[in-house]
Amino acid sequence: MVSYPFSFVRFWLFVLSLAAGLLWVVPPAALAEGGHAHGGRSHHPQLELPQGKECVKPVEWMRRNHMDFLKQSREMAVREGVRVRSDSLKNCATCHVSRAKFCDRCHAYTGVSPNCFECHHYPQ
Amino acid sequence: MTMATLDRRSVLGLGGAMAAGVVLAPGVSLLAAPVERTEASGDRRWAMLIDLSRCTADCTACLSACRKENNVPLFGEPSRDVHWIRKVEIRDRDRRRPAVNLPVLCNHCEHPPCVHVCPTEASFVRKDGIVLVDEHRCIGCRYCMIACPYKARSLVYHETRRGLESNPGVPIRSKGVVEKCTFCVHRLDEGREPACVEACKAGGKSAMLFGDLNDPDSDIAKRVRSVATKTIRPDLGLKPRVHYQGL
Repeated sequence: MVSYPFSFVRFWLFVLSLAAGLLWVVPPAALAEGGHAHGGRSHHPQLELPQGKECVKPVEWMRRNHMDFLKQSREMAVREGVRVRSDSLKNCATCHVSRAKFCDRCHAYTGVSPNCFECHHYPQ
Repeated sequence: MTMATLDRRSVLGLGGAMAAGVVLAPGVSLLAAPVERTEASGDRRWAMLIDLSRCTADCTACLSACRKENNVPLFGEPSRDVHWIRKVEIRDRDRRRPAVNLPVLCNHCEHPPCVHVCPTEASFVRKDGIVLVDEHRCIGCRYCMIACPYKARSLVYHETRRGLESNPGVPIRSKGVVEKCTFCVHRLDEGREPACVEACKAGGKSAMLFGDLNDPDSDIAKRVRSVATKTIRPDLGLKPRVHYQGL
């Protein structure tokens, strides 16, 4: 069995913990954006507020489930022929007027790329 | 008491006004609100009747209306262009009968072979008998294109882009899916006729008639009962729902 000198192991442990500590204090994303230029540590996307007063479902529920909700209403419209005006993607645009400032910003932040808009038109 | 001073005539008048208000109130809301929910009915069987005596060889109004309405792409390659409806010239081999020009589109068969072969269930029959492709599910295997005896289906070979003249109400297609005539299902659900039928009427030909075969009082059901009509390749037993008069 190969045994390393104690001081060698301790040296590398020290270097590793120093690096880990530095990363904890300054995360790589912040380094890439040039430190704390935007003020504060929050990197949540700045979304444009909707124009309407109320969504078709509670906001918290929509945040978590809008993708399944839209998929469900899509299935109903395409395969069953049940079209509900308020549940359609077109209706989102009555309040969320800018796709780029609402949908796209959050999708970019969460790292998802839904392909709805490759074919479907979002009224601007 | 004020009520006691009202005479018989004014009391009756007040009652009448209240009754009128109750009757009118729901009607007023119906006028203002758009239709919130529409559903395809299983009792309907949409069908088309094309009168070939009114359809002329030089007219392509239905073709261009379809292309415009449904954003059907043209790539400029004859072998790969997408057609939802096209005109076919049929000539008698012995030239005993004059050539006929007929618009050919998806026949929305009662027993569609395209649906039968689809491995992903992307092709399906809707409740009202319309054969559709769910392009979200289509993997572009083209089995359906081989199965269809009417050559009604096309594969989208290239990327398409939305242009200024595109219809925003209808999606464009992604590359690698199979598409075909939908009988303008989005218009039917709004209570309108397919774009080709409307264009044919607007052009003064009125060669195309569209309606519900299950409704005995509809124009198409009456015509199919009273006039000799044919379908293309009835021997295959697919029961197509595009009927031709004068074929």
